[in-house]
Amino acid sequence: MDNTLTAKPAGKSLGKALLYTLPMFLITFVFITGGRLSFTDPAEVLAIFLVFLGMNVLYFLMHYTGETDKFRAVLFIIFAVSLSFTLIKNIVDMRSSMSFSQADIVECRIPFCHLVIPMMIIPAAFTKSIIFPGTILGNFANISSMIVLWLAATIVLGRGFCSWGCFYGGWDDGFSRLRKKPVIRKISDTWKWMPFAVLFMVALTAALTLVPTYCDWICPFKAVTEFEQVTNVESAVKAGVFISLFGGLVVVLPAMTRKRTQCSFLCPLGAINTVSNKVTPFIIKIDKTACSECLKCVAACPLFALTPEGVKAGTVSVFCSKCGKCVDVCENKAIHFGIKGIPPGTMKNFTRNLFLFVSFLFIAVFSAGSIVFTVKSILDFVI
Amino acid sequence: MIDSFILGLSSGSACLVTCGMVMFPYLMAEASSVKKIAIDLSVFLITRLLVYFILATVAWYFGQSVFSSDLLRNYVPGILYIAFAVMLIWYSLDKNRKKDCPASFISKIDNKKLIPLFLGIVNTLGFCPALLIILTKSATQGSLMKSWISFLAFFAGSTLWFFPVPLAGKIRKKQVIVTIGILATGIAGAIFIIKGVIILTGGIING
Amino acid sequence: MNKIKIALGIAWAFVCLLIIIILFPGLTGLSRAMAALPFMKINPRYTGGEEAFIKPADACTLVVRKPVFDGLWKERKTGFVQIDWRGDIPENISDTIDYDQDGAPDFTVRINTKTDNSELIPVSTSVKDIDVSTPTSYGWALRVNLKKHY
Repeated sequence: MDNTLTAKPAGKSLGKALLYTLPMFLITFVFITGGRLSFTDPAEVLAIFLVFLGMNVLYFLMHYTGETDKFRAVLFIIFAVSLSFTLIKNIVDMRSSMSFSQADIVECRIPFCHLVIPMMIIPAAFTKSIIFPGTILGNFANISSMIVLWLAATIVLGRGFCSWGCFYGGWDDGFSRLRKKPVIRKISDTWKWMPFAVLFMVALTAALTLVPTYCDWICPFKAVTEFEQVTNVESAVKAGVFISLFGGLVVVLPAMTRKRTQCSFLCPLGAINTVSNKVTPFIIKIDKTACSECLKCVAACPLFALTPEGVKAGTVSVFCSKCGKCVDVCENKAIHFGIKGIPPGTMKNFTRNLFLFVSFLFIAVFSAGSIVFTVKSILDFVI
Repeated sequence: MIDSFILGLSSGSACLVTCGMVMFPYLMAEASSVKKIAIDLSVFLITRLLVYFILATVAWYFGQSVFSSDLLRNYVPGILYIAFAVMLIWYSLDKNRKKDCPASFISKIDNKKLIPLFLGIVNTLGFCPALLIILTKSATQGSLMKSWISFLAFFAGSTLWFFPVPLAGKIRKKQVIVTIGILATGIAGAIFIIKGVIILTGGIING
Repeated sequence: MNKIKIALGIAWAFVCLLIIIILFPGLTGLSRAMAALPFMKINPRYTGGEEAFIKPADACTLVVRKPVFDGLWKERKTGFVQIDWRGDIPENISDTIDYDQDGAPDFTVRINTKTDNSELIPVSTSVKDIDVSTPTSYGWALRVNLKKHY
């Protein structure tokens, strides 16, 4: 099966595309600038302008070309890289190192990320406390605001959070696009249940030990954010684990398979977001009357959400993150963005436009801070 | 204790898949009521627990005599953990797992009332990789009581998988649950590989 | 029935749109509301526990916290007690601590804050060893592992 993009979806006219972009233009201007621009720092103003313009150009192109995935991926990947840059720069400025020390843990200064959430639930229910050395309110990446953001996004987007919100997924997504054709084509479907096994184990171990075990031992993204200082055998083994997992599941395997293997085979939050796919109104639908069962969508899907049996039955599994890759690759326009309740093959433009507005608005505002910081840092360096 | 419980909980699914499909038709075929099923299951589980206590005792005394020197204590448990954990991961991924169940001989037992007893003994003495890991742990415990507690935690974890079996017919998507459980077995194996590496590396560094 | 399903689906989609539009401007307020929930506090295993008593010591202040034995649903057999030195800490710290205020000293600790060397001399049988001894933004923090005796 060839999973390179070949189809050319139908887009809108220039005028219509601009019209659809206008609400995004206005809302992102208000949200990103807070409604007013401070002209004290020209580099910051230029950074905000460039980011704002770039985001709206991407949104415009989604409407103008009718394609979704590649423009979404541009923002998604830039978000991941810029967030890592922002975190690392701030951490190195503060500590002169990417590693956090015992003092940071004792003083509860570790930034919180949404990957902790699966491990927090059982201990929070029993102990009425959060098992993480972070801050509840105030400070960068405080626990309260990160939970609110994730909760809202996962209710609205379901597993769409994994393609329109998660600031780690862009790494996986980016490396999965390096090669035009996959080297490894056949991967057993059983592996897509691995995140549930990981979720089960980390939730259990975190509850029993009161330590966020995924963060402590497994999280591959410590390689691009921050990690525990290596001071003994145990911390050295931990470093070996996360470096191996980042290299294997985030870089090498995605490049060789053109699949998002970290998201598909490891991430416990992805497993929870899969469940929330039952809540979100947005869904990918298959119009069986238009489908020729060429199975290009199955090959294209980076998260194993589509199977030949599912396509024949006209169903998309709960693993779908609504990235749009299958929609873009379908030559017959049989697979499309939809809303629950609306029959497949109907109101396709309306449902796509509504989903794009909601999802793009989320990622645009969520990512703006770190992208602006990164662009400003580059401008400060260059100018 | 926590890692013993987790090992039991995560390996119980593989154990259930391997032997459960052989054992439970016998258990259910003879049972005419919920009370009878509960009695048979209790006999089966109590037998497993008793055999585990015997194994814990034997393993601990064996460990006391074998791991008397610091050299052995520093290196051997680490190597064993890694070896058995690799076996556990292979065991969880092996598609031919079902052929290895030792319980299939029970079809030859005449007295059907003894079947839960024999099933309990055979299921426990299957010497699957998870059991080998817990035996290694027991052998290196500081006291007999700690050895018993390790096995008790392992028993508690693995037993949880057997409780829903009488309701198996009513549980939808049980194949998905079993698949997740088997993958969790592999993760438990990975945990013990890491544990073994830490023990071994610590042993090498400390001399 | 189909029309009802369609209407409900679209209505839910528009509610989601509203959620996203309100989310970012309302994040501060929503975060505060989330923070007010009963479970939104950091576990004592990370905060070090509540302050038990404060003792002035030369130019700095000695803060002894309550021992932490918190487990998932009951207290564990092992835990720790955290001692903080706040303020202008000396190069060499030497203190004898009675963390449970029973009149009997529990342990003596000597810390060289320049070399980061820490030495613990247990007096009580509940005291095991040092878990953490680290400079902090406020001075110095020490966590000593404890075990319960029944």
